Amino acid sequence: MTMEASFAGTRSGRPAADCDAHADPPGASHDGRPRRARRIAPGALGLLCAALVIGGFSLGVHLPNLHNGLIAATFTAVGVFVVAKRPGNREGWLFIATGLAHAVMFFGRQYGFAAAATNQQGDVLPGAAWVTWVGVWPLPLVLVLSGVTLMCFPDGRLPSPRWRLVVVVMVAAGALLSLASALWPVEYAENSLAVSHPLQVGGYETAQRLFNLMAPPSYLLFQFAWAACVIVRLRRAEGDEARQLRWFVYAVAMGAATMAVGLVAFGSAIPGVLAVPVVALAAGVAIVKYRLYDIDPVINKTLVVGGMAAIITTGYVAVVVGFGRLVGVEPGPNPLLAFAATALVAIAFEPARRRVQRVADRLVYGNRPSPYEALARLSTQLSHGRQHADLFSGLASTVADGVGAAEVTLWVGADEELVAVASWPPPADRGSQIATAPRTLAALGRDGRTHVRPIVHQGRLRGGVTLTKAPGHELTASENRLLHDLVAQAGLVIDNVGLGVELQHRLREISVQAAELQAAAKRIVTAQYEARRRIERDLHDGAQQRLVTMALSLQAVSERAAAIGDQTLAGKVEQARLQLSEALAELRVMARGIHPAILTQDGLEAALGFLTERAPLPVQLDVCLERRLAQDVEATAYFVVSEALTNAAKHSGASSIAVAGRLRDGRLWIEVTDNGQGGADGHWGSGLQGLSDRLATLSGRLTVDSPIGGGTRLSAEIPCG
Amino acid sequence: MLADDAVLFREGTARVLIEAGFEVTGQAGDVVELLDLIRRDPPAVAIIDIRMPPGHSAEGIEAAVEIRRMSTDVGLLLLSQHVETHHAMRLMTEFQGGVGYLLKDRVSDLATFASDVRRVANGDCVIDPELVARLVDKKRADDPLADLTERERSVLALMAQGRSNSALSAELYLSGKTIEAHVRSIFMKLNLPLDAGDHRRVLAVLAFLRS
Repeated sequence: MTMEASFAGTRSGRPAADCDAHADPPGASHDGRPRRARRIAPGALGLLCAALVIGGFSLGVHLPNLHNGLIAATFTAVGVFVVAKRPGNREGWLFIATGLAHAVMFFGRQYGFAAAATNQQGDVLPGAAWVTWVGVWPLPLVLVLSGVTLMCFPDGRLPSPRWRLVVVVMVAAGALLSLASALWPVEYAENSLAVSHPLQVGGYETAQRLFNLMAPPSYLLFQFAWAACVIVRLRRAEGDEARQLRWFVYAVAMGAATMAVGLVAFGSAIPGVLAVPVVALAAGVAIVKYRLYDIDPVINKTLVVGGMAAIITTGYVAVVVGFGRLVGVEPGPNPLLAFAATALVAIAFEPARRRVQRVADRLVYGNRPSPYEALARLSTQLSHGRQHADLFSGLASTVADGVGAAEVTLWVGADEELVAVASWPPPADRGSQIATAPRTLAALGRDGRTHVRPIVHQGRLRGGVTLTKAPGHELTASENRLLHDLVAQAGLVIDNVGLGVELQHRLREISVQAAELQAAAKRIVTAQYEARRRIERDLHDGAQQRLVTMALSLQAVSERAAAIGDQTLAGKVEQARLQLSEALAELRVMARGIHPAILTQDGLEAALGFLTERAPLPVQLDVCLERRLAQDVEATAYFVVSEALTNAAKHSGASSIAVAGRLRDGRLWIEVTDNGQGGADGHWGSGLQGLSDRLATLSGRLTVDSPIGGGTRLSAEIPCG
Repeated sequence: MLADDAVLFREGTARVLIEAGFEVTGQAGDVVELLDLIRRDPPAVAIIDIRMPPGHSAEGIEAAVEIRRMSTDVGLLLLSQHVETHHAMRLMTEFQGGVGYLLKDRVSDLATFASDVRRVANGDCVIDPELVARLVDKKRADDPLADLTERERSVLALMAQGRSNSALSAELYLSGKTIEAHVRSIFMKLNLPLDAGDHRRVLAVLAFLRS
């Protein structure tokens, strides 16, 4: 059966492409054979089809069968061409299958017609009944195959798996009808075949009735299914596929129009039948060469010409017939009316053409924004400050929409080094990549079709815009003005983007440096605290301990001296011991200044209590922290308060100080307020700066509020997790 | 009983104490050893360094709390390189007498140190004079201490150190009656509750001074 053959063909079409891709070493026999078979198969099938078609035509030309021959020839030819160009293309194989199936039908029916003709002359063609039979009964299945071929256009696959169900229904209906047609001569009368059916099975009347009942809706379903499928595809398609489909749909529409015009104007289906090859040719071009020819201008022109023809005809008829009847002129040739109609058409032609052109443009190229809209859209994009890649492609698409260009490329850089940064349609849509090699402005417009506009901003060349319009379209004066305005804005865009990029770059650099600096500063401060802690600990466990022990020894010596009666010595040793005690007290104070042990041992709250106890001024302490904080945080806060207390005592003339500390929102807040003379900014000097620096290493902040005569409030805020 | 992680200091102190007529029942280098020794043979006084291994922070106080839980008869004398008010307050509030808190330096003044150890053994309180001096000398916004006479100030300082009235009269060469009068006057001026117990008295004074 034809169907099975076609699917076998398409299924085996894929591995062929895979084999090619693997590039096996030459002479690999096990792979070589199927590959050669793949290469030979389309040619062989083409030859078979050619033989059937030529053989068929040699038996005469029969109008009811003409379309089969044309379909067979064109579809097979296109299929073979496509498979030769693109070996992996499944659609090519479907075309070959469709063509071949029609070739078989064509030959069978031609043979039938010839047999009928010779029958009248008394000759009998051998096997006429069977050969004709082969040309008749596959029709429903061939219709299904044709439908599937169209549904699978352009890649040989259904648009989605859901369509498989439709195909199953079609195949079932087709198989049923074909079976009926194989058993009974249900389609013979319809096709004007005067050859008898080779099988003489009973129940012909019932079969014919059922067939007549079932065939029309089934055939309608086949037509409807592929038409629906193509429409669905067309709506969903983007980029290349959309172009391919447009070719195809255009051809189908033209075929249908030809058929309609032929039937209406000449009462004949011949023009429509003769238009069939157009569909196949358009499909072939769409699959193999769609990038070479752009169909849009053709569609556009067709719409204009068709629309104008319709308008002129209608107008002419309306004037000649309608007006003539109105004023009571006799029907028939009337030179006056014909002249009036011609004049009217001549006057109305240009305005009508312009209007039709606009409608056609809108249909083909979509809605084009007005110049004002285009400029407004651009400035919106600019003010939203989006990513620069978006800005550039936005600019390209705005230009394309604004002047109706087929292709727009935006170039950035000084002359000699222009680099394409954006293009419309987007590169993914176009098949070709944006050229990346730098160009000169002069080189951009060399092909003659491309319009080049340099982008100049503040007297400097910043880039360029190149655009091509669809063939046959030129830039109008208003489009030119809009382009000029858009290009003027483009300079601003490029400048902005350049500045933005530079700024972002610098900002990133600076923030990295800042982070490094802060990390380094933090390491230094941490190391400093650590060193201070260690010195304090060494003093405590080392020097202080030994000095105390020494004092003990002196005590013992003094005792011994007293015991042996040497009061002078005892007195001197006692003197030394007291001096040592003083030294110890001094050492204690020193160690505390380096790093208070109480801070390490008991935390910030206790250490602040310790500070205020020793403060030379009365201090109100209000600190409530609930938990221990990181050593760095505690030490920094401690030194902030220590410095603040010292300064308040030394410079402010305050009589009391308040120290407050709280944990809030993961931050430590410390506030030291005095009631002194204020104006502390001047004499705080380096101490304050040092504190501020230490706080900064912990991402903290120091604020000093010291109005003259209004006391001083110093607040520190340290994040502490 | 002596506990300090510095061996030289420990040995020196032991020698001083022996000379002063004490019996040193044991020496420990860390808290575990100390608790072990005390459990086996509870002494009259345990002299403990506040800062001991492993943490070198305030392990001595924790050990003291533990010892008091084992036996209320063991006097606790804590030594430190520096004296802190909050530690003193803690010792005063957590222990009902028989507790002392001194700078390590005090060990070298044998006579005073020996008397301090004896007072702790007797259940009295001992607070280092440096800490008390610091608190008494502290300036205040609205200083109630300003109303005290010079004599009253020295009485207050000794009181805060934990001295009893009799000790005060001996120290200041004043009669017991005079001392009592001074104490009453101080308590009146500072608005403190009159209290006979040495410990409560020290606590009240310290709390006042610290405030």
